[in-house]
Amino acid sequence: MFKLNRRSFMLSTAALAATSGIAGRAVAQSDASGTIRILMNGGDADLANTNNAIARFNKKFPNVQVSVDMDPISTGWGDYVTKVLGEFASNSQHDIYGTAIETFQTFASRNIMEPIDDFVAKNPNYSDFAPALFEDCKYKGKTYFVPTSWNNIMIHYNRDHFDKAGIAYPKTGWTWEEFREIAKKLTIKDSSGTVTQWGYEVPNQNFFIQPWLFSNGTGALNDDWTASNMLDPRVAESLQFLHDIIHVDGSAPIPGTDTMDNQYLAGQVSMINRGHWVIPNIRNAKLNSDVAIPPTKVNDYTVVGFGAIGIAKGAQNMDAVQAMVAELTGPEAEADVAKSGSSVPGSKAAAELPEYLAFPPSAPLFYQTLPHTKAVPSPANFQEVEKIFIRYYTAIMADEMSIPDACKQADAELNDSFARLKASLS
Amino acid sequence: MPRRRALLSERDLLQTMTDTAAPRSELRSQQARAGYLFIFPAMVLYLTFVLAPVIVTVVLSFAYYDPQLGSHWVGFDNFKRFFTDPRSVQIFWNTLRFTAMAVTGNVSVGLLLALALNRAMPGWLLYFFRLAFFLPVIIAAAFVAIVWGYFFQDAGIFNYYLAHLGLPTVRWLTSAQNAMPSIVFMDVWKNTGFFMIIFIAALQGVPRNIMEAAIMDGTSPWRRFWRITLPWISPVVFFAIVYASIGALQVYESIWILTKGGPGDATRSMSINIVEQAFGSFQIGYGASVAVVMTVVILIITGVQLLLSRRLVRY
Repeated sequence: MFKLNRRSFMLSTAALAATSGIAGRAVAQSDASGTIRILMNGGDADLANTNNAIARFNKKFPNVQVSVDMDPISTGWGDYVTKVLGEFASNSQHDIYGTAIETFQTFASRNIMEPIDDFVAKNPNYSDFAPALFEDCKYKGKTYFVPTSWNNIMIHYNRDHFDKAGIAYPKTGWTWEEFREIAKKLTIKDSSGTVTQWGYEVPNQNFFIQPWLFSNGTGALNDDWTASNMLDPRVAESLQFLHDIIHVDGSAPIPGTDTMDNQYLAGQVSMINRGHWVIPNIRNAKLNSDVAIPPTKVNDYTVVGFGAIGIAKGAQNMDAVQAMVAELTGPEAEADVAKSGSSVPGSKAAAELPEYLAFPPSAPLFYQTLPHTKAVPSPANFQEVEKIFIRYYTAIMADEMSIPDACKQADAELNDSFARLKASLS
Repeated sequence: MPRRRALLSERDLLQTMTDTAAPRSELRSQQARAGYLFIFPAMVLYLTFVLAPVIVTVVLSFAYYDPQLGSHWVGFDNFKRFFTDPRSVQIFWNTLRFTAMAVTGNVSVGLLLALALNRAMPGWLLYFFRLAFFLPVIIAAAFVAIVWGYFFQDAGIFNYYLAHLGLPTVRWLTSAQNAMPSIVFMDVWKNTGFFMIIFIAALQGVPRNIMEAAIMDGTSPWRRFWRITLPWISPVVFFAIVYASIGALQVYESIWILTKGGPGDATRSMSINIVEQAFGSFQIGYGASVAVVMTVVILIITGVQLLLSRRLVRY
């Protein structure tokens, strides 16, 4: 576990002070002119953060016009990848892309992003970032992205529901079985047998499901994301556990196409698997909510996914583009992320800001669990892999397919997909 | 015979013009050029937006296509993959099942509504019913599907009332058995108003004198429908069936929003499969081959319907 000691606190503070000082000094304006096009993703908060970074950039580069387009990622990263690849195919690409780990290998393997090792090495701000994040930004030894913010999946729980049921709040190291018993106790039915409060939402998205595999020491793919691991009995065990929460205990509904964020905010679900991005909504709903590390089977590992910035291959005005990326990933931008609460900031110093730590009560857990996370498996055929896994997963959770059959068929399909990927990359 | 006289005089006029203004062949070629110029814009649009995409799709179906990683010909590999993939049978069957149920539901309910509204009633009431049944047609399918999604959820409105009535709840969308009928139910609610309108128009064309003669002869309403009304409107019914079939075979958005093709592959249609393969998994060549197969299937089904129409439709 990462713990903040005096030494790391002093170093972080010094780094923040140093970078703030750099930003605060009068900076000579550049004569460079031209345009920079940025494609970012997310909602209003992300657009506001980007516009703040552009305003700072334009103080140094007044003659460079910057335009920003936003993609809400409303239909997942697959469509975003299709959009970006389409831009490159039609030679209408942006200069800078905001993206996420799910797309890294897809973009890097197609050689459409600029390697930025030198740029990263020269930028002192990045020493404040968790090295593990930069490791996941590499493809075949080269760095292609700068991490900006990240999300690890935690259990968000309604403290009022726990209090009402007389259940102690979850502690680090709680087990699968303890979790299951708590979910049962938190499920409430009315006189007609209709469930009015679900103990847990069995997740319906690939990213949210991963902690149940990782904490059992397994995963749907092998460790280097080159083949299926669906025949590992521990995968079946994890899936059986989730299946039983629905069909044996009746503590969770069958996952549908929509997530149950609104039901959690309305107090109709007691526990959900989510990242930090739900915190602003929970705070606005004034829900008495906190977070816990996902329960343990053989370890307490959870999943991490993160956003990042990359530079398009062949981008013009490279000095200005790099300066723009520096702003988008600099201390002010990181502080904006921390204050908005939409993610955990990549910078450690930003993750220690009071605004960030104000809510939920166990907010420091997000950063502290980082050493106990594994990146969401994101091979170059991620979009296909995710669809295959989710298709069989939903069939299992709907009790429409036996777990051994589903694992076997998913394994065959995943390996076919990897064979096709290998052929296309070669 | 004034009409015949007029035609002759036109011909005479044309002959005179031809003799005096220019040789006959030159005039014809001028007329041909003018004709081509008139159809040129439409042809450009047709070639660009219809024929070219069709040709590109057929070409892509024989290729592995990736603008960044490189493309190459793969012969019939994409088609071989489709016809040997066990999922293809399920997806193909889903599409046919949806088509059969949705076409039957849309056309029959539309016809029943049209028959119910094709009778004497106060004008305002008639317009009220027509508007009420037609309204879902003009609402975006994406929006309709989201609302129906809330109805169909396991903890949704339908199950809420079933539970309060002491009835067992139903897994409308999370059961492979119920998901497709639920989607069809929504599809019929959404689209049957369109067919109702065209059937009302057709019913108003049924000759009143024949119907009155049948009533005076004491023919029962059931017999009048089968012997007079249905044969008279059969070309419109045939059009409705073909139109509904082509739309149903390409069903995408209502399924995508309600179930995303699940659970598992239980409701995945061929259109969804094409989009997922081509634009979700970047298997553009494979997606194109599924699109070609789907086009052939639509052509075959429409062809069969045309053949059957020769026997069943009375023009």
